[in-house]
Amino acid sequence: MFLPKLFQGFPEIKEALIANRMQAGFLGAPMAIALRSQGVPIKIVYLGHRYGSAFVVSKDGPIHTVRDLAGKTIAVASRFSDERLIVGRALRANSMSESEVKMVEMAPPDMASALSSHAVDAFVTGEPFPSQAELGGYGRVLFFAREYWPDYISCVLVVRDDVIERRPEAVQMLVDGIARSGLWLDEGKAHREYAAEFVGRYYYQQPPRILRWALTHPMDRVTYTPLSPTRPDFDLIVDLMVQAKLLDQRLEFEDYVDPRFAEHTTTLRSWQFEPGND
Amino acid sequence: MTIKKLVVTMSVWIAAITGLHLWLNFDWESFLNDSRPEAERKLNVAYIPVT
Repeated sequence: MFLPKLFQGFPEIKEALIANRMQAGFLGAPMAIALRSQGVPIKIVYLGHRYGSAFVVSKDGPIHTVRDLAGKTIAVASRFSDERLIVGRALRANSMSESEVKMVEMAPPDMASALSSHAVDAFVTGEPFPSQAELGGYGRVLFFAREYWPDYISCVLVVRDDVIERRPEAVQMLVDGIARSGLWLDEGKAHREYAAEFVGRYYYQQPPRILRWALTHPMDRVTYTPLSPTRPDFDLIVDLMVQAKLLDQRLEFEDYVDPRFAEHTTTLRSWQFEPGND
Repeated sequence: MTIKKLVVTMSVWIAAITGLHLWLNFDWESFLNDSRPEAERKLNVAYIPVT
């Protein structure tokens, strides 16, 4: 029913969705909302996960608090990324403004090496790149997203409007599968370790030990329930986007979210699969 | 080397390289999927290697 396609950045996914080469995809929530506001025919139908983003600095560097970031260069995936909004929240919580730091855009897979070579002073992105920097011995987590943003959302599942209209059963199957996988992942460490193995080898093409670290140190570093898109979560993102001048005006929840598919997931149970029994 | 031998060698080489390219690099799954009627097509779902 589905063909997963690996991309290296959100901008490429955006172009593929617009061109209908991809019918669905995972995007950062602000980018999805911005695209919708620009008239791109997509809707958010579900979340990919909660939390899972971290702000990383050089392990032996001079940055030990958010206030030490004054004058420093921070890599973000895109100005339309949740992580960029997190930087703003962290700075404001420490009585600073965004004009006191320099933010540069960079593809997430390049961030850890940029930190290691001192091309940037810090980066903020989703796992497993913070874990990669930690395990590589050159990165240290300054803060996790949850410290400045309770119930933080990053990746969301978007689907083209024409697919929602013509093939709602396929969209429901996709959402149900993600919901059941999320329940399964949140059942314990053994499930996460197993997921790290096969996702690392067959989907992410990354060393499983990095994913194992990202999924289990600590266990709530990334969570996979609850994943239904809710109005308060998205109202906050829209407010932050307006504040950051990423949106000219507020959008209503119904304009960019189709919650029908998520409503069906509330009665689902996790996949019945135990590692070692395959 | 005769002209005939040269042409045969080059043809075999080109056929081998083309075959290897089609085997290793061409996305047959997407090609076959795109050839199906829309209602039977698998959905292409994009993701990046980030949580």
